[in-house]
Amino acid sequence: MHEIDLLFIFQGIATLVASDPLIAAARIVLILMGIAFVYLGAKGTLEPLIMIPMGIGMSSVNAGVLYLGGSTMGTIFLNPMASEPTQLMDVLQINFLQPIYTFTFSNGLIACLVFMGIGVITDIGYMLIAPFRSMFIALWAELGTLLTFPIAVAMGLTYKEAASIAMVGSADGPMVLYTSLILAKDLFVPITIVAYLYLSLTYAGYPYLIRIMIPKHLRGIKMDPKQIPNVSSAEKMTFAVIINTLLCLLLPVAAPLFMSFFLGIIIRESGVKPFVDFISGPVLYGATFFLGLLLGVLCEAATILNPKVLLLLVLGITALLLSGIGGIIGGYIVYWTSGRSFNPVIGIAGVSCIPTTAKVAQKEAREASKFAVILPWAMGASICGVITSAIIAAVYVTLLR
Amino acid sequence: MELRTRSTGEDSELEYFLGSVKIMLIATALSAFISMLVAWVITLLFAFIRGRRAAVATSGDAEAKPASRPAGNEPGKAG
Repeated sequence: MHEIDLLFIFQGIATLVASDPLIAAARIVLILMGIAFVYLGAKGTLEPLIMIPMGIGMSSVNAGVLYLGGSTMGTIFLNPMASEPTQLMDVLQINFLQPIYTFTFSNGLIACLVFMGIGVITDIGYMLIAPFRSMFIALWAELGTLLTFPIAVAMGLTYKEAASIAMVGSADGPMVLYTSLILAKDLFVPITIVAYLYLSLTYAGYPYLIRIMIPKHLRGIKMDPKQIPNVSSAEKMTFAVIINTLLCLLLPVAAPLFMSFFLGIIIRESGVKPFVDFISGPVLYGATFFLGLLLGVLCEAATILNPKVLLLLVLGITALLLSGIGGIIGGYIVYWTSGRSFNPVIGIAGVSCIPTTAKVAQKEAREASKFAVILPWAMGASICGVITSAIIAAVYVTLLR
Repeated sequence: MELRTRSTGEDSELEYFLGSVKIMLIATALSAFISMLVAWVITLLFAFIRGRRAAVATSGDAEAKPASRPAGNEPGKAG
C-alpha cells in the first residue's frame, strides 16, 4: 500500500500550513468572522438576509483552499478575475458559483434585480405628498456621498475609487455595487462588503444620531394626515413611466437601475398579482441571498489584505455618518421653512436604505410621542433618496468613466 | 471631461485634490438640478391630474343638477 500523506487528504489544513503566515492568519480571522456574522445575523444584530449567507460564504471560502495542480492554491467556488473567454469557459464548468457570478454579478444584473424588488414593495404615492420637500431632504441626505469624494482623494484614492467608496453614503447596496463595478473593478469586492456591513448597522446607529441632534419635543411633532393625497394606481403608473423616461433620457448610464426600479413600481400598481408575487418573493429574496453568498465567497484573505481596505472602512463610516447628519439638517431646514410644523426626524429617511431609515424615523417619533405618525412622509423622503442616489451614481459614472 | 491621473509632487497632489473638489461641486449642482426637475415634473403632473379630476367632477355635477333640481326652483319660474 502506498504511503498516505494526511496533509494531501486534508488540503485545507495543508494550504494553511504552507501559505504565508499573514495569509494564514487572515484566513483564520475571516473564518471566525464568517461564523460571527452567521451568529449575529441569526440573532438579529446584523441584517440576517445578507449576513447569514455572507458569513457562511466567508468561512467556507477561507477554509476550503486546496491545491489546484502543482503548488498553486485556490478554491473551487469562483474566480472573480477570469475574463479571457477560454479561461472563463473552463472555470464556468469547474467553479460552482461561477455561472451566478459571471451572468448576474459582474454585469450588475443582481443590483438591478434587487432594485426591481425594491420597486415592487415601494408605494410611489408617498412621494406625491410633498415632492419638493422630499427631494430637498434627499439631496441633503447625500452630504456624505458628495463630501466623502474629496476626502477620499485627499487620503490617497484615485477619483474612480473615491467616487465608488463615497457612494456608501447613499446607503444603497445595489447602487454601491453598480458604481464600483463600473468605476473601480479592482476594489469592488471590499467596497461592496464595507457597504453592506455598515448598512446592516444603520438600523442600530441612526437612532442615536437622531437623539443627539433632535430634542424630544421636536421628535414628537405630529404631521397632518390631510396632506396625504388620494392617488389612483393609474396615476401612480403615469408618474412612474414619465419620471423613468425623463431620468433615462438625462442619465443613460444608470438607465438599467432606473428602469428596474420603476418597472417594479409599475408592476405593483398594475396589480398583476403573479408578477408582484414573483418579483417581491423569488426575485428579490433570490437576488439578496446570492448577493450575500457571493460577497462572502469573494472575501478571500488576499482580497481583504489589500492595504486600502482599512481606508475604505474609515471612509465608509464617514460617508454614512455625514449623510445621516445631512439628512437631519435637511429636516431642520424644512421644519424652519414650514412654520415649525414639520417633524425634522423625517430628514434621516432621506438617506435612502428603503424602508429601514423610514422605519427608524417612525420608531423614534413614536417613542417621543405615541400619536406621532410620520411614516408616509418618511417613506416619501426615502423614495426620493433612492432616486437622488441613482442620480449621483449616474453623475459620478458619467463624469469619471 | 478630461481626468488627471494621480502623480507625485506636492503641487500635482494639490491640483488633483482641487480637481476632486471641482468634480464634487459639479456633481452637487447636476444632481440638485435633476432632482428639482423631477420634483417639478411630479408637481406639474399632479396639478394636471387634479385639474382633470376637478373638471370631470364639475361636468358630472352639471349633468346631474337638472334632474335633481326641484321644479319650483327652475329659472324663469316664480316662487
